[in-house]
Amino acid sequence: MSTQTSRSVLFTHTQPQQSFRLLELPPDLEELLTSKDAPVIKLKSPSSALAQAVKDPAAQEYVNLCTPTKTYRIRQVMSSNSIHILQPSLGQISRDDIKVVEEEAGETGALNLPDDSVTTIANCGSILELHIPDGGFSAVPFLEKSLRLYDPRSGDDDGDMAMDDSNPDEGPSATQTQEAREKVCEDVPVSTAHCETGWLELCAFVYGDQEVSCWRPSARMRLSVWKRLMEGALLQGIDLQKQFLVGDLWKSVLDDDVSAPPFPRALLEALARRLCAEDQRPALSEDIKWACFDKEECTRWVGEICLAATAPTASSAVGRSEFLQVWKDCLPESWRADAILSKLPEGSYQSPNPTTMFFVDASQRKQISKAPAAGAAAAKTKAKTTRNWHELLKNSKR
Amino acid sequence: MPSIQLHPTSLKSAETTTSNPSSLPASNPLPQLLQTPSGLAILELQATINLPTFESEDDQHASPGSPLNSNGTTFETPVGKLMFPDYSPLNPDDTKWMKRVYLYVGRYQRMTGEVKKLPKPLAVLRKRSSSENTEELEVVEIVRYKVFFKNRPEPVNNI
Repeated sequence: MSTQTSRSVLFTHTQPQQSFRLLELPPDLEELLTSKDAPVIKLKSPSSALAQAVKDPAAQEYVNLCTPTKTYRIRQVMSSNSIHILQPSLGQISRDDIKVVEEEAGETGALNLPDDSVTTIANCGSILELHIPDGGFSAVPFLEKSLRLYDPRSGDDDGDMAMDDSNPDEGPSATQTQEAREKVCEDVPVSTAHCETGWLELCAFVYGDQEVSCWRPSARMRLSVWKRLMEGALLQGIDLQKQFLVGDLWKSVLDDDVSAPPFPRALLEALARRLCAEDQRPALSEDIKWACFDKEECTRWVGEICLAATAPTASSAVGRSEFLQVWKDCLPESWRADAILSKLPEGSYQSPNPTTMFFVDASQRKQISKAPAAGAAAAKTKAKTTRNWHELLKNSKR
Repeated sequence: MPSIQLHPTSLKSAETTTSNPSSLPASNPLPQLLQTPSGLAILELQATINLPTFESEDDQHASPGSPLNSNGTTFETPVGKLMFPDYSPLNPDDTKWMKRVYLYVGRYQRMTGEVKKLPKPLAVLRKRSSSENTEELEVVEIVRYKVFFKNRPEPVNNI
């Protein structure tokens, strides 16, 4: 009999047990963790204030696992089986104890004294699984809540942002800027890459003389910066579609009055970074020296913020032709022909009647585009392939 | 604030674990396939191992990261015997042996299981011992196979 010749391994239980957690690894995370210079991974949950402000419909409390570039939602799945973690035995077992097992196992094959033993050092009742929700992750809603809104009204220059007694050309240093940004991102429960994308998307910037703060410009403010830089570029003969020095653009914005800039330089740089063609965009940690705008992306972006600035809600809907006129007026002469409704991002506007339209915020767009039917169908197919009881039962109950 | 660091397994830490003579014996009795650098393996059981209750001080979980208490109070209770009846160390590439694993518990009970490749590898995490104030985790091992007993114990006749 093969069982008689085969080796048997004594199986023991070690007391006291240790505590471990088991984490299921998707292929890309496995690759990351087994790579040579594996980065430190973060388990992030939103601060209680942010969790209150940004509600997640799927879960009240959650932890996200964040690699430098990816975000996963952690789900704890209970197991009805016991999952033991074994390790070769430390040999702390008495002969007498072994005899007990040996005598009980009366088979001739089993009578051989086990030459080696393994021991269970922990028992896990659950496994941590990772998944990415349908909509993916975005830092934008969190950043919108944690960044201060920059929206000084004209003629209100010395309101929030006192910029009188400092050299306006120098904002906070590069390190200060980076530290301030990282501090904000620390509380945002997504990966650094997602944070940076959101930061870029919002044209967020760091500014302040005494107290350094992180700001996000309002749509109105973004539009006025855009208009200003477009005019400046026109006056100074800067071709925005070709590489230009951001410093030159800043000078063109300043007019003659260098002492009173219309807005912080960091804001202009944030905008330039946002509009810069993607392949030319420097990393957020680097200064933006050169930029080169992408006409199509620029046109779309200007259209979107135009609408956001003029008709942010259904009650302030504007006429279509009126909006198109405003949009065109915000573009360089040669781009005017591009200002057509089909160029706007999908779902970015709604029309209460055929002649008017208003802006739909990006966070609301997702919910609309996520048709409930499609969601349910996807969940069903997922449930069929899964062995997870939570998912299997979720749909059948309804 | 609400961020916990999870450190990947570093080669260095794996070395210190294995070089620590008291924490691991030199040899791993499990088939090659189930062996991992740290020696950890996973065994899943559709059952609970019931042990006599211990005194309360022993009943507590060991402080994380310290497999041995300083006074060496860990002790092992034999539970049963694991057998890989078709496994031959001479022929490690043949995977047919994975279909059959026995766990004998006592004299009359045997569980039949198998060695399965995990659909997704499992990272074994534990709290980092070095961190005292902040909570930090580390990946101790990445396990790709498990010994799985999905059947209930069956009686074995006593011949």
